[in-house]
Amino acid sequence: MTAEHAIPTFAEPLFHIGPLPVTNSMVVAWIVALGLIAVVQAGTRKVQLLPGGLQNFLEFVVESLYSLLEGIVGPEFVRRTFPFLATTFIFIMVCNWTGLIPGFATIGWGHATEHGFKVMTPLLRPANADVNMTGAMALTFTVLWCVWYVQAHGVGGAINHLFGTKGGMKGAAWWALLPIFIFVGLLELVSIFFVRPLGLTIRLFGNIYAGDNLLDAMGGIIPAPFSAITMLPFYFLELIVGIVQALVFMLLCAAFTTAAIMHEEEGH
Amino acid sequence: MFMIPILLATETASPGFFEQFGVDWPHFIAQLLTMLVVLFVLNRYAYKPLLDLLEERRRRISESMAQAEQVKQELAKAQEAREKIIADAGKQAQQLIEEARAAAQRQGDQQLQQAIAQAEALIAKAREATDLDRERMLTELKHEVGRLVVETTAKVTGKVLTPEDQQRLAEETAKQLAA
Repeated sequence: MTAEHAIPTFAEPLFHIGPLPVTNSMVVAWIVALGLIAVVQAGTRKVQLLPGGLQNFLEFVVESLYSLLEGIVGPEFVRRTFPFLATTFIFIMVCNWTGLIPGFATIGWGHATEHGFKVMTPLLRPANADVNMTGAMALTFTVLWCVWYVQAHGVGGAINHLFGTKGGMKGAAWWALLPIFIFVGLLELVSIFFVRPLGLTIRLFGNIYAGDNLLDAMGGIIPAPFSAITMLPFYFLELIVGIVQALVFMLLCAAFTTAAIMHEEEGH
Repeated sequence: MFMIPILLATETASPGFFEQFGVDWPHFIAQLLTMLVVLFVLNRYAYKPLLDLLEERRRRISESMAQAEQVKQELAKAQEAREKIIADAGKQAQQLIEEARAAAQRQGDQQLQQAIAQAEALIAKAREATDLDRERMLTELKHEVGRLVVETTAKVTGKVLTPEDQQRLAEETAKQLAA
């Protein structure tokens, strides 16, 4: 595939609301958000002890995620961390799967080429094929992680946990190893505020953007509508990628949180 | 309203990372707000009520199980009490039967003794009566035999016997009969 045919790495503005440029990925994120809100409202309008229909399904989702996260984060912190972790999973998965609906990347503005009409500005773009979206989620996690970290250790405990000498050393050994542990703490800070958020951001973006490009490329191998044959296997692949990437994002966040909390327990 | 965007990235000779991926604060904040709104709504309208409901259901199931266990224990206790009552009643009934049997035995013995005594009394009375009859018959027989002896003697001898002879013959006959 030539660069001319590649989907742009960035979401493209469709229109402006005042000074805010509204991009195609933002539109999808809003549609997904509104859809989720509508489903949740419909399912929990009259919560009953004996569930049925949509409430039953929502309970299944919430209970499954809660059990999974309880096993990772632990029963003490799960209630505190569950809303964010579960939301990332649900939101990312729905965004990813929504991006597979026919019309994404194929309806929009473009121009005629010798190979047919080429869409340059699609009306809809998968929300996670936008670094702003994945970055916003990663940043939210980083901020919440700091809150949970301080809640678990206290301010002094958190600083001590980051920079203090580990292993219960005392006296001269403590002083001797202190510079090393301060350096390790600084590395940890780089990891917490740079490496982890960047990793979360780029991993999710990369997978979804690559999937989008893959489907686009497969669709271009043979002329439409026969291109469905070449695209179909990759649609199933992208369905799996959609849920796996959502799970990976949530589990990584859960694992980072657990590691921070477990350190404190080991310290005791 | 809609516009075909001018792609800055394609215009820049060597775009930076942020430009390359279209990262800028307005977009970033907009996406952040979208995420936060979803987080708030899901937490407010889905997680909280559903988790509370699940907790409530778990609590009720736990209570029901505890109640069922309590009922089971009470049932076991009631069963135990019932069996004890039945056993006591059985014991009491057995005791009553034994007592009744003993009383009946005593009464039977008593009646038997009475019957025996009555029978013995009857036998004694009968024997006494028989003895009396025998005595009377013997007496009558003696008189009759004595009279016959006197009559026969008088007929054989052809003489009239005196009262003394008659007396003597009668006594003699009585003596011989008695022997």
